[in-house]
Amino acid sequence: MSRLIALINGDEDLGRSVWFWLAAALVVLGFALLPLWESEFGAYNISFYLLNIPLALGLCMLWGYCGVLSFGQVAYFGVAAYVYGIIAGNMIGNNWGPIVASLGGLLACAVVGTVFGYFVFYARVQAWIVPILTLVFTLLLETFLGQTAGYQWRVGIVQLGGYNGMTAIPPFQIGSHMFMGYSFFYYALIVVLACYLGCRMLVNSQRGKTMLAIREDDLRAELLGYDIRRHQLVVFVLAAMLAGVSGLLYVQWGNYITPTQVGLLQAALPVVWVAVGGRERLLAVLISTFALNWFNYKLATQGNQYAPVYMGALLVIVMLFFPRGIIVTVAEFFRGRRWKAT
Amino acid sequence: MNGQLVLRTEGLEKRFGGIVAASGVSIAVRERELRCIIGPNGAGKSTLFSLLCGIYRPDSGRIVFKDRDVTSLPAFRRVQMGLGLTFQTNRAFHALSVRQNLAIPSRLQVAASSQAAVDRYQYALKLFDLDPASEAPARQLPHHKLQWLEILMVLAAGPDVLLLDEPTAGMSPDETLQTARVLQSLNGQGLTIVVVEHDISFVREVAQVVTVLHQGRIFVEGSVGEITANADVRQIYLGRA
Amino acid sequence: MDTLGLIASILYQFGTNAAFLLISAIGLIVILGMMRIINLAHGELMMMGAYTATIAFHRGIPFPIAAILSFFVVAVAGAIIERLVVRRFYGRELGALVVTWGISLILGQTTLVIFGPFMQAIAIPAGSFALGQFSFSVYGIALIVIAVLLLVALWWIYTRTTFGLQARATMQNPAMARALGVNTDRIYMLTFALGAGLAGFSGALMAPTVSIAPFMGQQFVAPAFITVVVGGAANVLTGAAGSSLLLSLVKTPIGFLFGAFLGTVALLLAALIIIRLMPNGISAYLQRFADGRVGR
Repeated sequence: MSRLIALINGDEDLGRSVWFWLAAALVVLGFALLPLWESEFGAYNISFYLLNIPLALGLCMLWGYCGVLSFGQVAYFGVAAYVYGIIAGNMIGNNWGPIVASLGGLLACAVVGTVFGYFVFYARVQAWIVPILTLVFTLLLETFLGQTAGYQWRVGIVQLGGYNGMTAIPPFQIGSHMFMGYSFFYYALIVVLACYLGCRMLVNSQRGKTMLAIREDDLRAELLGYDIRRHQLVVFVLAAMLAGVSGLLYVQWGNYITPTQVGLLQAALPVVWVAVGGRERLLAVLISTFALNWFNYKLATQGNQYAPVYMGALLVIVMLFFPRGIIVTVAEFFRGRRWKAT
Repeated sequence: MNGQLVLRTEGLEKRFGGIVAASGVSIAVRERELRCIIGPNGAGKSTLFSLLCGIYRPDSGRIVFKDRDVTSLPAFRRVQMGLGLTFQTNRAFHALSVRQNLAIPSRLQVAASSQAAVDRYQYALKLFDLDPASEAPARQLPHHKLQWLEILMVLAAGPDVLLLDEPTAGMSPDETLQTARVLQSLNGQGLTIVVVEHDISFVREVAQVVTVLHQGRIFVEGSVGEITANADVRQIYLGRA
Repeated sequence: MDTLGLIASILYQFGTNAAFLLISAIGLIVILGMMRIINLAHGELMMMGAYTATIAFHRGIPFPIAAILSFFVVAVAGAIIERLVVRRFYGRELGALVVTWGISLILGQTTLVIFGPFMQAIAIPAGSFALGQFSFSVYGIALIVIAVLLLVALWWIYTRTTFGLQARATMQNPAMARALGVNTDRIYMLTFALGAGLAGFSGALMAPTVSIAPFMGQQFVAPAFITVVVGGAANVLTGAAGSSLLLSLVKTPIGFLFGAFLGTVALLLAALIIIRLMPNGISAYLQRFADGRVGR
């Protein structure tokens, strides 16, 4: 039990004091009591801000803790989403459909991530090659999915749909209960919190320390006996599966998926969320992802065309003036310690 | 007093473009030996260590560690077999705290790791006087403590053979002597040590056998007395081609 | 069987594929070779070049002049970007990637807001001719020639001008170059401007062959980046030439048999395999080969 507490309350993430946990409990309580002050439509929107969090957490672990930058996490978001759509769409009427489809989506992410990661990490390439190749992969995936318009592009009875994408994707269900509206909100909240706690425990564990060692000096880590390529691959696959969780939640929320979700503009978003929050702290990324998605939604509802410009400007400003991330910098300031910018 | 051959090479060859870093290098280190490797700059000392550890692959030749041919074994596997290395430029994790630096290697189960290895680590920790709970970033340590930190990190992984690349570089004479004494004690507790060093007082203090490298080849081997009396060795340090 | 025409057609496709890859990537490679950073705004710089050329062309400026104008306009933009942002990221490769991505978002979306989603097209200059049953576009052949000329021009710049000499010194050892009196800050700025200008010029060259839109740069991102990854950073010229040729060798048969998209997929697969064999790219491999033949 004390080991569990140590894993959750380790020092690789923000917030360890009693005050913090009290505040966190209050926040979670606030979310749990959401129906008191938000309509079902409001809950629907907030679900969207939440569901992107696992995607961001995966990139945070990969980039911030392990030192591996991937620009193509959204590819796995898309892989899981499309696979779910295909399997669930073919199993309509079967109560187990969505569960099988979800497992299928995660499995697909793991397989693709393993194959891709194997080629990249075991080739011992220079650091800048990983973001480039992961980006190319997601761009090619978008192009591929975009040209699947014809009737011949189907799996079973489900059409891939080309640039119009896949629609009428079934929501998640357990037994005969379908998760929509408020119940989807609670389902997403629980999944996201579970992912966050899982990641937090991972980075505080011995494996998490190994990730730090690899990030700091991979040669030194190797010469301490660590199979650094295998570690990098494992974290990469984990991040892919986390991106897949977000993809699953997305199609279970909106019931549709289009190739733009794996395109260039979308691919930039997780990088912005993680950079703005602070890539070295999971909690900072959780907060920034929620906040930036809320911000983006506000812009979209106002018909503001400048959203990508703001995202781009935010990225440039953060990289120039808040290299550790805005939330991390603020947190460190309040802790009374000024850390030097990296 | 010394035992079997624990680490040996046969005819190692390594070129980098036009530069011969190692040529026909055959060394043999016995268990519990304390070997010093010396030689002028560019003699190939660090390259030899890199070859022994698996950072570089030799162009030809063999490396045998604990009776096993490890020539094509990846570096981390050799470490898991019981080999340890500290680098010429200090490679402790400077941005991490002392505690984190020492926590990272600690879970490793090196194949031959034993109570003796654990004891050696504890002994060195005490003698080097570093606080394993300190949250201070490693880069705030004075230079000699940083060097000792890296040695401790490697010891925490429980090696039986420790390669040290210029561990006392930048240290004062007292710190050098302290390092020498600790290494000697560790050697007495069963640790095989191979050290690359420039500091002749260090070599005199600890070495049992000295290997002199020059231009990638083994120039001569012998006891400290024989090497320091050798006029040719002085010549190569003074730059005779 | 029209073998002469077939052979000519295969050579033509090989040549135009290689030329396309080289032209798409050369701006990136120049910057990578000097600063070891990848400019993710490369696609947008190409787009700016295409827009400049298109606007100039539709105002009556002949296409070749418009293309050269693009070079200079985008080179200036590149110099500004370097001064303001990029220079703070030398030595921080991953940070440079992220920040240039931010810049690309700004450039792309701003263009969309200012110019709208569509732009008047440029017709492909010159016509086509036929050999037997195969037709060839004169412009395609022109692109091959221009690609070769670009390499020659870069070779001349790097080996025959003072700038080139100082640039090569800075690439090899910036601290030493500085100590010898080279203004490395200026070299970095000029190199980034050169790379940006080449991207703009490339965008202008490509403009007649694609539809012109604010995010048109994206279609060049995948092939350009793959070319750069395979080429590597060790030597700009050998990396660019070697990579374009090698990748075209992969893309041409597959593209011919299975279509353009699968051709690009084959590029990615080829890149993944090639980096297993040559992790630092072709230029590093060739460099080691050349080094190995020198020496005692």
